[in-house]
Amino acid sequence: MLVVHGVWAEDGLAFWAEHAEGGGPAARAGRGAGPRPHPFAAPAAAVAAALGLDQPGERTLELLLPGSAGEPSPSPETGRLAGTTRPRLRPWRVPVVVPPAATALRLLAGRPETATLRHWAAVADLARDLVRRGRVLPQLALEADGARAVWRPVVNGADGVHFRELALAMPPACRTAGVERPSAGVLRAALETFADALVRQALTEPLVTRPATPRDRWLAALTGPDPSCPDVPELRAELGAWHDAATAAEGAARVCFRLMEPTGDPTGDPTGDGEDAWRVELALQAADDPSLYVPATTLWAGERAPGLPPAPERELLTGLGRAVRLYPELERALRVPEPAELALDTAGAFGFLRQAAPLLQAAGFGVQLPRWAGRARLGLRLTTRTKTQTAAVSQGFGMRELVDFRVDLAVGDETISEEELAELARLKVPLVRVRGQWVELDDRQLKAALRAVEGARAGEAAAGEILELVARHDGELPLLEVDADGALGDLLSGQAERRLRPIATPPGLDAVLRPYQERGLAWLSFLSELGLGGVLADDMGLGKTVTTLALLVHESREREGPGAPTLLVCPMSLIGNWQREAARFAPGLRVYVHHGAARDAALVRDADLVITTYGTAHRDLESLKEHEWRRVVCDEAQAIKNSGTLQARAVRAIPAATRLALTGTPVENHLAELWSIMEFANPGLLGPRSRFRTRFQEPIEARQDEEAAHALRRATGPFILRRLKTDRSVISDLPEKMEVKEWCPLTAEQASLYQAVVDDMLAKIDDSEGIERRGLVLATMAKLKQVCNHPAHLLKDGSRLAGRSGKLARLEQLGEEILAEGEKALLFTQYAEFGGLLQPYLERRLERPVLLLHGGLPKKTRDRLVDRFQNDPEPMLFVLSLKAAGVGLNLTAASHVVHVDRWWNPAVEDQATDRAFRIGQRKNVQVRKLICAGTLEERVDEMIERKKALAERVVGAGEEWLTDLSTGELREVFRLTGNAAEGG
Amino acid sequence: MAWFDEYDHRGPIRVEGGLRARSKRGSIGSTWWSRRFIDILERVCDKGRLTRGRAYARQGQVLSIDLAAGEVRAAVQGSRPEPYDVVIRIEAFGERRWAELEEAVAAQAVHRARLLAGEMPPEIEELFAAAGADLFPRDLDMNCSCPDWGFPCKHLSAVLYLLAEAFDDDPFLVLAWRGRTREQLLGSLAADEGHGLPEVVDVPFAERLADFYAPGATAHPPERRPAASPALLLRVFPPPGDLGDVLAPAYERLGDGPAAP
Repeated sequence: MLVVHGVWAEDGLAFWAEHAEGGGPAARAGRGAGPRPHPFAAPAAAVAAALGLDQPGERTLELLLPGSAGEPSPSPETGRLAGTTRPRLRPWRVPVVVPPAATALRLLAGRPETATLRHWAAVADLARDLVRRGRVLPQLALEADGARAVWRPVVNGADGVHFRELALAMPPACRTAGVERPSAGVLRAALETFADALVRQALTEPLVTRPATPRDRWLAALTGPDPSCPDVPELRAELGAWHDAATAAEGAARVCFRLMEPTGDPTGDPTGDGEDAWRVELALQAADDPSLYVPATTLWAGERAPGLPPAPERELLTGLGRAVRLYPELERALRVPEPAELALDTAGAFGFLRQAAPLLQAAGFGVQLPRWAGRARLGLRLTTRTKTQTAAVSQGFGMRELVDFRVDLAVGDETISEEELAELARLKVPLVRVRGQWVELDDRQLKAALRAVEGARAGEAAAGEILELVARHDGELPLLEVDADGALGDLLSGQAERRLRPIATPPGLDAVLRPYQERGLAWLSFLSELGLGGVLADDMGLGKTVTTLALLVHESREREGPGAPTLLVCPMSLIGNWQREAARFAPGLRVYVHHGAARDAALVRDADLVITTYGTAHRDLESLKEHEWRRVVCDEAQAIKNSGTLQARAVRAIPAATRLALTGTPVENHLAELWSIMEFANPGLLGPRSRFRTRFQEPIEARQDEEAAHALRRATGPFILRRLKTDRSVISDLPEKMEVKEWCPLTAEQASLYQAVVDDMLAKIDDSEGIERRGLVLATMAKLKQVCNHPAHLLKDGSRLAGRSGKLARLEQLGEEILAEGEKALLFTQYAEFGGLLQPYLERRLERPVLLLHGGLPKKTRDRLVDRFQNDPEPMLFVLSLKAAGVGLNLTAASHVVHVDRWWNPAVEDQATDRAFRIGQRKNVQVRKLICAGTLEERVDEMIERKKALAERVVGAGEEWLTDLSTGELREVFRLTGNAAEGG
Repeated sequence: MAWFDEYDHRGPIRVEGGLRARSKRGSIGSTWWSRRFIDILERVCDKGRLTRGRAYARQGQVLSIDLAAGEVRAAVQGSRPEPYDVVIRIEAFGERRWAELEEAVAAQAVHRARLLAGEMPPEIEELFAAAGADLFPRDLDMNCSCPDWGFPCKHLSAVLYLLAEAFDDDPFLVLAWRGRTREQLLGSLAADEGHGLPEVVDVPFAERLADFYAPGATAHPPERRPAASPALLLRVFPPPGDLGDVLAPAYERLGDGPAAP
């Protein structure tokens, strides 16, 4: 297997590769003078083949790489640890492939496997974005080998900030060709090369036909593959000055325009005096700190602000001179010696809102609009009233019940009458003040409103119809407000959880629900009594599992006699967890795990809870459909985020009285997933996929349309309950430290390896005694723990990681949820080499920073890593070897701790956990211990739990206490039990 | 006349590195202020002579042009070994008049704003007229040391042509000819500080040996800016000469979708 990296050469991106296993075919010959060949580097032809290139530009580069005198340290992605703890920089000869820039861009467009290539992909993204926005200018470059026509990016403002971050982030391995190159220089060269190639891809037509003059030949060379052209010194100078001027703009500060409402009497009628006096305040804003906003008046008064350029008037005037080209009306403001504002009438203010503001903003100027801009508009208001008085609690209320409804016209929060509307239409002004509030009125909406009042819009309808109307409303006039009473009101307000009476821990549940869980239970019960599906999307760690089990226990008590069972579908890695949690919290429930080769759909009939996997649900769809289900629950509902997948279709196809989706990721941020999950929970409610896309997804994602976002929240709010750990109503209920155990399955490969190790070692242990026996027991345990971690950890063969370990699969899920919540986690393992495998794998899979700390790192590096983890706001994971984490680390930025493998000594584990709890730590921390079900990990854990007192007494440094067990006891401890392995 | 014809037929001595005219056919005067200058030229001399001057300028026969208050001096290589001296004089305004004009310019920020952004405010001509001064001269006092009897000679024409081009690019030159440089006119506003890409201080490789392949920090992509025409940059920073006409349609093709209204 090859691990491919990217390094910047003089003229392009060079690809090279290491053999992951080490010891590639490259000869160790060449004792002579000069740098030696990299012993593990792949030949250029192999690199080209790995990249799928036919005609590689092959050559050899000298790279400065850290390592010993004999070999460079392997990169993390090889899965091998450095052979030396004191690496030094030495030059190594490395065969590379340097494809044309367009090819390099194509190669980076996939999901690169290594950190260096991922960095180049981020650089390519910036280049692509600059080109898309036209932030490039044609230039004439003169180099040793002649003149060239090139497209150079214009990088300033927010792009400049990103440029700086990309430079700081650039791994040394990206800029190590020949010498230690400055990151900014390498980045600039790469951006220019990428941007030039991208423009040439976009411009397929030449800019001139039949070029005759030197200038035309330059224009001609701006498209097509050949950039060479004659040098025209004057043109080159002019173009250079042009590029400088464009780059210099938006340097330290930018001009900012702020629209201010008239300050006149807000109750006056819209035509009154003073109502028309709008202003656009001119100001200067620091590029890197938008909160540093200095109005022009202040600047003209001679005041200076640190952070603004030394001659701010010059920046202000230059910016205004440019802005006036986009917004000619601005010139009126500049008719005075010291311009500070532009006076506008109402029509002018509307023009500024609709035309000038977006243009100025796109050109990089700052624009600040009043809060209501783009929001308070003409729309509809829906009022419903229940016909009979029903209590807030749902008794007796159903979706078929009739309610009275009325639809009114409204502006912002205010209902307006037909006469008022006619008056507004008569005024023919696009911005009107309705009872103190400014509203943009466009002609199209006004016409729609006049049409709307013609038909009487009142009557009675079923509650379910109202619900659908709210969810799908899609007219020219937005639905601004819904005022409903009774149960329908509770539901539509999205506040049901807070309004319903909490349901106390039901008898039969072997746990005590926290107050927010009692409210969650009431909400779940309320929805299912109405026959509606729900999405429980609480933060991870808030107890979605126990709340769901509580719902089942509660219902089984309410019901006379056994009812239809609940089908719970979850990823394979969570089967053991559900089984154990159900046995622990709800021992009265009859649980059947429908999974594995021995599964039998007939057993469903006698169960209250049937647990199965997404895969099995799809395979056994036909037999599962035959049963009557009280409810289908999808755990880790991200699994059905793509509505077209087989498993998503399968769970939707199983008929059930009600449905529930459980997810820990914030669904509201991923609209395509949200639709798919809602389509499972409440089929049809949000309408077809295509309409959802045009009504919500595109306006929200492409245009940040507030109104569409609001409408979507209202449509889905009744069915989604998402509480955050940080909510005030939740945080007070949480303990500071929550410890949970998570049981993971073994894969079939892990199970057979595990069995082989047990068989082999037990025979040897039986024949030995004394120190040898102790050694064998400890070695066996180490091997078994490695199998539980990952087959590649035991085999140490650099083989691929994906899909071969239940623990790794669970770790990925956890990592994804933690990062999606914007948080940081510490992952502890006692094996540095396993940490070395995890770090590059997780970084690539999760597309977020994953740091690694092990004992071999020099102090300076450790400090830098710790500093980054503590201070970088980016959510990230930190993999630590348990020993390296022993001393002096302060990692309080973490809100999660995961013990990937176990050190069966509570004192050592607690010490590691406490890294996250130092003085000054205020937030709650969740601690998870991963245990492979049915293995020695589970058994030893039980022993520790049973004999906690004993365990605490034998606080030594390690796990020696286990070596005192008899061979019979060991056999029991090691034995592989239950349906630990993923079945067929 | 014979000696003149003889020279004419022999043609000028070719020059390396002269000031060449940049534009293709008829493309000077892309700004209103250089257009105005050309109007004057066309009034004082016939079109044919200007055309010849342009051809001469294209060949690179003009060796140098110096512009100072009231006077433009140029050296043009003709058919004699010694280049000809060309002088074009206009009236430079006196201090009193300039003080008046400066006050008028300062009274409206739009003038300074447009000048700083690289264009001559159209109203400035009226502003000069109101003060009883002409921004552009009605007449040019021109002189060339060549023996050509035609007026203006092709050497003068070539210099005039290049001058018009220079005015296109830098409106301040018109004002400098009248006696005020950009620096004098804008005072402290004129100072140009260096801008450029931000400084980046790298952690030395020596401290990155243990994490040589890892990113040193997190780079957050900027939020996508509102969609707009990709040709916006050209509108805010007009390209030199008439490039805008050629480039604008090409820029529209860079965007990844239809331009926002």
